[in-house]
Amino acid sequence: MTNINLSIIKHKHNKDGVFVTMKKGFIKKWVTGLTIGALLLTTAGCGGGGTAPAANNDSKGEAAKIGVIAYLTGGGAAYGTAIKEGLDLAKDEINAQGKVQIELIYTDSRGEKTEAINAANKLINKDNVVGIIGPTLSGEMFAAGPIANQAGVPIMGTSTTAEGIPALGDFVFRNALPEFLAVPQAVEKAISTYDLKKVAVMYSNNNDWAVSGYKTIESTLKKNGVEIIATETFADKDTDYSAQLTKIASLKPDAVMVSSLYQEAALVLKKAREIGITVPFVGTNGFNSPELIKIAGPAADGAIVASPWFPGKADEKVQKFIADYKAKYNNKVPDQFAAQAYDALYLYASALEQAGTTTDRQKLRDAIATIKDFQGVTGKFAFDENREPVMNATVLIIKDGQFTELK
Amino acid sequence: MFWQQLVNGLTLGSTYSLVALGYTLIMGVLNIINMAHGEIFMIGAFVGLYLVTYFEVNIFVAMAGAMVTSALLGCLMETVALRPLRRKAVSHLAPLISTIGVAIFLESLALNLFGPQSQAFPTELAAVQMQLGPIRISLVQIIILGMSFGLMFVLRFWLSKTRVGKAIRTTAENIETANLLGINTNKIIFLTVALASGLGGIAGVLVGLSFNAVEPTMGLSMGLKGLAVLILGGMGNITGAMLGGLILGIAEVFTVAYGASSYRDAVAFGMIILILFIRPQGLFGKRQGGRF
Amino acid sequence: MDMLLNQYYLQIAVFVMVNAILGVSIYLTLSTGQLSLGNAGFMSIGAYTCAILTVKAGFPVYLAIPIGGIAASLMSIIIGFPALRLTGIYLAIATLGFGEVVRVIVLNLKITNGALGISGIPTLGTKISKMLSSFGLPQKFGGLSVQQTSTLLVLLILVLILVFLVFFCVRLNRSRVGRAFAAIKADESAAEAMGINTTYYKLLAFALGALIAGIAGGLSAHLTFFIGPKDFAYHRTVEILLYAVLGGSDLVFGPIVGALILTLLPELLRSASNYRLMIYGALLVTMMAFRPQGLISEETVRFWKSKLGRGSK
Repeated sequence: MTNINLSIIKHKHNKDGVFVTMKKGFIKKWVTGLTIGALLLTTAGCGGGGTAPAANNDSKGEAAKIGVIAYLTGGGAAYGTAIKEGLDLAKDEINAQGKVQIELIYTDSRGEKTEAINAANKLINKDNVVGIIGPTLSGEMFAAGPIANQAGVPIMGTSTTAEGIPALGDFVFRNALPEFLAVPQAVEKAISTYDLKKVAVMYSNNNDWAVSGYKTIESTLKKNGVEIIATETFADKDTDYSAQLTKIASLKPDAVMVSSLYQEAALVLKKAREIGITVPFVGTNGFNSPELIKIAGPAADGAIVASPWFPGKADEKVQKFIADYKAKYNNKVPDQFAAQAYDALYLYASALEQAGTTTDRQKLRDAIATIKDFQGVTGKFAFDENREPVMNATVLIIKDGQFTELK
Repeated sequence: MFWQQLVNGLTLGSTYSLVALGYTLIMGVLNIINMAHGEIFMIGAFVGLYLVTYFEVNIFVAMAGAMVTSALLGCLMETVALRPLRRKAVSHLAPLISTIGVAIFLESLALNLFGPQSQAFPTELAAVQMQLGPIRISLVQIIILGMSFGLMFVLRFWLSKTRVGKAIRTTAENIETANLLGINTNKIIFLTVALASGLGGIAGVLVGLSFNAVEPTMGLSMGLKGLAVLILGGMGNITGAMLGGLILGIAEVFTVAYGASSYRDAVAFGMIILILFIRPQGLFGKRQGGRF
Repeated sequence: MDMLLNQYYLQIAVFVMVNAILGVSIYLTLSTGQLSLGNAGFMSIGAYTCAILTVKAGFPVYLAIPIGGIAASLMSIIIGFPALRLTGIYLAIATLGFGEVVRVIVLNLKITNGALGISGIPTLGTKISKMLSSFGLPQKFGGLSVQQTSTLLVLLILVLILVFLVFFCVRLNRSRVGRAFAAIKADESAAEAMGINTTYYKLLAFALGALIAGIAGGLSAHLTFFIGPKDFAYHRTVEILLYAVLGGSDLVFGPIVGALILTLLPELLRSASNYRLMIYGALLVTMMAFRPQGLISEETVRFWKSKLGRGSK
């Protein structure tokens, strides 16, 4: 036993002895290594920078470069994909019309804020874009927005609905209808239509956006004097809701309000109908997707949501968009992520046209800020003085597997 | 409501038990934690789903298909990620890290192959409901409960009574001695990994059926829960895995029913931190001596 | 040169430094042979403590970051006392559980603002650029914008912290404490038989690792404007672990090199981001099978040293 121990000590001393003697060589080696690394970086930089034109080179004929930061891979890739599809469709149409030419540069943020920061920096400093669309999540926008704002590049979220986003700075916009405008509309409509007295609330508590929606629901209910008899939470990607719903069922609420993405919302609806909760469900933006009906099936009937995007609208522009989208993407019905992204690019196009530039970021920003009476597929649109969107939402209810207007 | 919640807890718990059984088998024989078990479970669920959706096979055929695929996947993992480590004298943490690697690989592969959206089985099995007094129970819930208990008893019987089972137990005791006794330990290890992974595959289909959702990240959350059950019940202890799973399921459901649902996800790990400090061998583990 | 000072590259360099500091933190825990999967948890304690202090209590950043580190360290001692009786796999699982519990608690507390996270954290860069302009520095300084200058200064601060940590680790290795760490890593029971208080040293290594993870958390909070619970989930832990597995955990330079490679690689392979996690997973398996000691071990250093030494003579 002692022998073994001794050998360990001896070994250690040997190691340390070596360590002392090699210290000098070490530093030398590291200096060399760092130099090589720096050299590599420089070459990489030159390679990337060579193709990028200087930012202040004001040439009208060139295509305006617009960077897109989207959640294209990972758990929320469905949202990023819809956004990309909407943007691509809009880009093709705009370029075909020929008033302005737009080039889109996509970067993937994988739903992570450090990735979003890197992506924003890359687009601004390496690709020299004139403006940015994205990122997909509000949390990413809180990290990437200030970067763009500092650099003086307009950035527009198409799906960032949390409170406080345009407050990040003068260059930060969004064309997503924020929760605090849309949700109260749906909740109040449901209260008056169904004469609600006591309701249960459920939300996904690890999703920033869903929590923000929940807070709006709560304050709207309080304002209208409706009693909240239960508040239950779950997490994104949860699959088992039986415990929460059993509890809610035993309290017999007049309605259930849910704030979550469509996947969780659909599973909640399915389980709720299965255990016999038949009351209406009011949702936040997550309910506003054809996927909800696809996953939940007949269980989705009776779900209520307020949305600026309503595929059933008898508007020529909307119907054309749906037809084109279906033709391009394998008969897929566009959801609001696609619709809002589609509108966002048109907003950029009209601002670019008005500003008469494809490279001046400040001029573009000023042109976006003054947009009024813009007619998009999500309705009439303007920015208020705080760069918040001014738009109308329609309260929808799902009936027989279709979104219809709740009257 | 109490009885209904108890049933909810039991159903949830039995899915945890099913997942934990796989962990425990591998832990018992190889003395490692297979961090990729949750992902093998997820792949099993997808295989079952695709068999039912595109080949329109019977659900039990789908389960068999999922089992075979998962078992093969387990064997592949054993060959690629575990066997090379056994040959070398490496730190006991190496297999843990290696299986974390397999887990990340499989999850990302599934995301690329199947997409991030959750998909549902097209069957109406979950919709078949029964009212027993104050309790409403679905057919799937009954199947899950039945299957997990059934599998546990079969497994116990098989391990204690059959020749192969005895060989597995011998290998679990001591690999060198088992080798000396003329047992082909490599074959036994292969068999164990295949068995554990196959069980994971079946569990995947059952869980996918009962919650009506199959998606690539389900492996991670389920795997972490299974891991908690493994520690809770005692490593390498089949009864422990079974009862530990049920205890965890009931504890989670009751946290929601009578406490705050937002702390639900902390229950599993709060419990194992507690158990590790008070009784590191687990609720049903013995401090020393034979496994299983 | 202009290209090298591009804000994009500077920002990546900043992230490399933060990750390298995290690499040092996992190196310290691993130096006694303990695998902690709770580093992301400690990081989040540091980040939140620090962000709350600066945003809500108005503490100066240079005070808040060390306090965040100390908070993480204290937490590690509280859970470390019982947890370190556990060895190997058990400790790994217990710390993994700890990370999850921290995440759930952060989601539920009011002061951490739940899933919404804390936004509007003043960054080191903006602080410095404000300071610079208050000194009356012109918009362009030696051809650099204020933004670039401040990012460069932030980078410099991070490099200094890292150099200090490396120096500390190298010195530690040659001290009584470092030798005790190495003895425990080589054989815990033998070390105990020799009269080394293994619990004390293990706890020390654990707490030091947590301290540095907490500081890294505080730094990252003040570099990204925003922190949320998602930043410190299981995948973050795996990433930190990868630094040590790829780089090697024998020497403090191992995890640092690992962090450098694993932060730069995804940027270079942006187009392959779909397969990034697959590559990471495969990397873990291959490293374990073919080179469990990581890219840089004492042998590698000795080999290159003798080779380079001969070459230069």
